[in-house]
Amino acid sequence: MSAAAPLVEVEGLTKSFVLRRGSGLGRPRLELQAVAGVSFTIDRGETLGLVGESGCGKTTTGRLLLRLLEPTAGTIRFAGREIQRLAEAELRPLRRKMQIVFQDPYGSLDPRMTVEEIVAEPLVVHGIGDRAERARKVRLLLDRVGLPAAWADRHPHEFSGGQRQRIGIARALALEPELLVLDEPVSALDVSIRAQVVNLLVDLARDLGLTYLFISHDLALVRHLCDRVAVMYLGKIVELAPKDALYREPLHPYTRALLSAIPVPRPGRKRERIVLPGDVPSPLRPPPGCRFHTRCPRAMEVCRAVEPPLLEVRPGHRVACHLHPGPTSEGARA
Amino acid sequence: MSAGERTPILSVRALTTELRTEGGRFHAVDSVSFDLFPGEVLGIVGESGCGKSMTALSILGLVPRPPGRIVAGEVRFEGRDLVRLPERELQRVRGAKIAMIFQEPMSSLNPVFTIGEQIAETLRHHERLGRRAARERAVELLAKVGIPSPAERLDSYPHELSGGMRQRVMIAIALACNPKVLLADEPTTALDVTIQAQILDLLQRLQAELGMAVVLITHDLGIVAEFAHRVLVMYAGRVIEEGPVEAIFESPAHPYTQGLLASLPDLEGEIGRLSAIPGSVPQMGELGPGCRFAPRCGLVEPACLAADPPLARTGARAVACRRADLAAAPRERVA
Repeated sequence: MSAAAPLVEVEGLTKSFVLRRGSGLGRPRLELQAVAGVSFTIDRGETLGLVGESGCGKTTTGRLLLRLLEPTAGTIRFAGREIQRLAEAELRPLRRKMQIVFQDPYGSLDPRMTVEEIVAEPLVVHGIGDRAERARKVRLLLDRVGLPAAWADRHPHEFSGGQRQRIGIARALALEPELLVLDEPVSALDVSIRAQVVNLLVDLARDLGLTYLFISHDLALVRHLCDRVAVMYLGKIVELAPKDALYREPLHPYTRALLSAIPVPRPGRKRERIVLPGDVPSPLRPPPGCRFHTRCPRAMEVCRAVEPPLLEVRPGHRVACHLHPGPTSEGARA
Repeated sequence: MSAGERTPILSVRALTTELRTEGGRFHAVDSVSFDLFPGEVLGIVGESGCGKSMTALSILGLVPRPPGRIVAGEVRFEGRDLVRLPERELQRVRGAKIAMIFQEPMSSLNPVFTIGEQIAETLRHHERLGRRAARERAVELLAKVGIPSPAERLDSYPHELSGGMRQRVMIAIALACNPKVLLADEPTTALDVTIQAQILDLLQRLQAELGMAVVLITHDLGIVAEFAHRVLVMYAGRVIEEGPVEAIFESPAHPYTQGLLASLPDLEGEIGRLSAIPGSVPQMGELGPGCRFAPRCGLVEPACLAADPPLARTGARAVACRRADLAAAPRERVA
């Protein structure tokens, strides 16, 4: 990538949810660490994919980045400025620069509002333009996401899932953000509709120079859309690499299993399927050492005791696994 | 596979199920016909609302009534027509000879009974096993579906199990009476990909071991490609294409099937722009007399809007499209 500073720099980001406060009477405190010290950067104009299974912390990470949730620890820099401790008033001008598109195109739009009201809402909140200017802007935005401007007076229920997701995208674009967090933006859509929305996202990134954090469990889609990919497991990033490297030669046993487990639409194609045993352990009691060791087909003694750090083993390719202890031990590869 | 010479275990003919909604009446399943052969996995693929789940529910007489009603067709199984079977007799088929598993095991399991009680209930109902024999058989079944420490697990309640484990329990219940046919409706859609791999692995192993015929209903073309032998593609209540999996994926004949396959991002190969199908899945109330895919089809001609094309058969394949010609290299003609 370029030598310019990244748009987003996250370091040691951690989020714990306290499910139960401890009491003096011996009732233990119950804490869930949804995100356990993740670090990554996103360059301007780049799309970073954040993948993993449910409960891995990818959605929480996206919300922390936008300060929709308060981090427990760690730093978040946006355009060079630390934002994790900014008060709401200071944060406000920055919020214009970062927006989110949610998964559920049904639940995320207020059914009583018209499309125009929904898309103009961020402009109203930030006191931008007068009524006429906002109406003009809404029409431009609808056009931008491929919806007829004449539909501005309609209500969400009059639209299909794909159209609603376009409305959600138009709303996210209203403040001309630099960063969009896309949280499973096409997962709720029918297969034949997904490609339309994916193509729209690709066009918008290109035309508007947007930076995306693309959160998804769909690894084929992530390959299609992203420049780099971070794989999460139980609150940690286990592998982070440029797309080509990750899909061509995944290093972490979890990434390998994840990729091998995806059914591909090519009948008769013999692929080695790595079926991981057991379930993902509860994040309330993550395993000691490497969090993946309880399901890892290649777990060693050290994995049960020592947590592997996320190390750069090749240029730009980081992995947290004792099989890959550093750049010098190329021979330890699987 | 030479389908023509074998005797199907299940034959569905012109099955039509009507749904009444505020918007009016429509056929959620519209003249659907297919054969299921012993030991095969038949995939039924389509998007939400295409009628794939409703087809399975119709086969077992489980369509909620109202709003649903089977208005025409036959479901032939062991010499009888299930559509016309009295409920009492149908109950003996359902769960015993034809079993079904669903997408969300939590809503199919009763939260107030242990899983042991729920498996035993099926066994005592259909097999007339005593309490003790039922419990022993339940342990065997849980072991068979890969549940660790099955004897202890019998006393667990559904909420104490993970999603993957609950689906294993559902499979154990489905297999309790050694069914000849298993209808699996999106059995892994609610599960994470590594758990999905476990469940598909299990289903594939059990299918081979027990020689069941399986109807695998899914929206996931990858799952169909890897696990089914034959596939039916449904759109807006109708079967629009049918054939062996290899043939359909290699040279899809219907423009909808072609569009679906072309719209998928791939795990390997060149990354180009996805080829999207324009428009939306039609609302059932607003269908015209013509081909249901016509409003979204790139090959549409005036005649396509006049009448819905029938499913035309050529050998092992069938397609419902005026523009598709299975005999004449379909891929080149309509690609």
